Amino acid sequence: MLPAAVALGLFYLYPVIDVVRLSFTDATLIGDHENYTFSSVINALSSPRLPGVLLATLIFVGGSIAGQQILGLSLALVVIRGEIRHLLGTTVLRTTALVAWVVPGIAGGIVWQMLFSEAPFGAINSLLRLLHMTPVAWLSNPAMAPWSAVIANIWRGTAFSMVVMYAARKAIDPELYEAAEVDGASALQRLRYITIPQLRPAILVNMILITIQTMNTFDAIISLTGGGPGLATEVISLYTFNLVFRNYDLAGGSVTSFLMLLISLTLALVYVGFLPREERS
Amino acid sequence: MSARRGSRLGDCASYLFMLVSFAFFATPLLWLLSLALRDRREIYLGVARFVPNHPTLDNFVSVLTNSAFPIYLWNGLKLASLSATGVLIVALPAAYAFSRFDFRTKGLWMLALLTFQMISPLVIMVPLYRYMSRLGLVDTHFGAIMVYVALSCPLACWLLKGSIDTVPRALDEAAMMDGCSRFSLFWRIILPLAVPGVASVFIISMIAGWSQFLVPFLLLTKTDLMPIAVGIFTFQGLESSTSTQLLAAACLISVMPAIAVFLLLQRLILSAMTAGAVKG
Repeated sequence: MLPAAVALGLFYLYPVIDVVRLSFTDATLIGDHENYTFSSVINALSSPRLPGVLLATLIFVGGSIAGQQILGLSLALVVIRGEIRHLLGTTVLRTTALVAWVVPGIAGGIVWQMLFSEAPFGAINSLLRLLHMTPVAWLSNPAMAPWSAVIANIWRGTAFSMVVMYAARKAIDPELYEAAEVDGASALQRLRYITIPQLRPAILVNMILITIQTMNTFDAIISLTGGGPGLATEVISLYTFNLVFRNYDLAGGSVTSFLMLLISLTLALVYVGFLPREERS
Repeated sequence: MSARRGSRLGDCASYLFMLVSFAFFATPLLWLLSLALRDRREIYLGVARFVPNHPTLDNFVSVLTNSAFPIYLWNGLKLASLSATGVLIVALPAAYAFSRFDFRTKGLWMLALLTFQMISPLVIMVPLYRYMSRLGLVDTHFGAIMVYVALSCPLACWLLKGSIDTVPRALDEAAMMDGCSRFSLFWRIILPLAVPGVASVFIISMIAGWSQFLVPFLLLTKTDLMPIAVGIFTFQGLESSTSTQLLAAACLISVMPAIAVFLLLQRLILSAMTAGAVKG
């Protein structure tokens, strides 16, 4: 059984490793001729579009992880408080958030397009008009569109952070809170001196996971904005896709996909650096 | 006295927060439902007509009788269920080995699995697309399923290891004493006891397969092979503002199966996830 298990492990690990290796080597291949050259790396990295792509990625990823982490933590704490104090609607709230999470990315993008749209069926703008306020160009204003994408992504992704934070908060020893109660700590002090420090490893692990997820998000953006208006929401995954499958620039796409991997890896290492020593293993 | 007032104030704040976040999470899908139930004229009334005056199911009927849609749904179901089965076949032995055998590099392998999780499907697809086209696997469901399986594997291994860990090792020893082979030990004792975890991994993989967009979008170009996620994207491209109600209905149809399965099995799925998350 052991050899079989290891062989199977290798059987599926191997293609993945091979793929990684290929994405390394492919970075210096051009088209079908496959000459080794650095010019594709240089071209891809000096492309005038790249800074804009990186900025869009930064807004999208940064905004999404900040929003998902904060909202996810707040939701988890409120749900736990609601369960303890038997508040009405706790389960409904938790379930609703989770339902948004199982919505396929493509569908999520389409749904939010219907909310943000400036056509009569756009929910938010038609509500604003009803209240005699000026409609907002959610998706057609290049300065606004990345933030709209962030909102849509927070909607879809927060439940994951909520589940992780919920589990981690439940794992904190209740005696800590009892002791704090005896010492007369206020709710805010309990949050600041017990909950947050105790949750720190879980928060960092969660940040790693959602950073990766957001970096890799592709379907929700393509159906929400398609990268537009102009190139305002062309995040790196969409850019890579366009390079490879629209411009047939396999080499350039390999470079940016490797860049993508590098960014994820660097961010993950940065987060791990923040972990308390005994949690690293 | 003041503590009591404090917690009542806290309750109010909690309720307020719950209300606002409920509105945030529920509105989009309710809006989708509202649009899907309208006829063409009421679409133009926006939020003023949140509950349509003349709710109609015509949009669903017209989407479902559209020749391509039943095929999209069937393809989506086929790809999701076959790939979830494939994930179990590939990941179970590995998870068993990770749970039961002690070898020195185990921690490293487990970490390696997690690292694979970091790699974007897009990064894999770039070289894989060439492989696939050379092997003639583009435009076949088999090729797409293989990629789905590979993508879901790392997470499945982690979660399955967690659930096999909960089966006490004493049972293994007792069964081995009675002359049980490794395979029948796994098949007859461990697997039945780990069923909740295995089932939830199956469901999670199925939901992931149902939502999978990138892989079929690249690998499947023929309409009669496309799964639902690609189907609605194509549909969105064809749609004009006069048929938003149809797009909403199509979107709702694609979302409902995943939501229904999730609601039915919520407890199972969450317990597997949190068990994995806390240990991981």
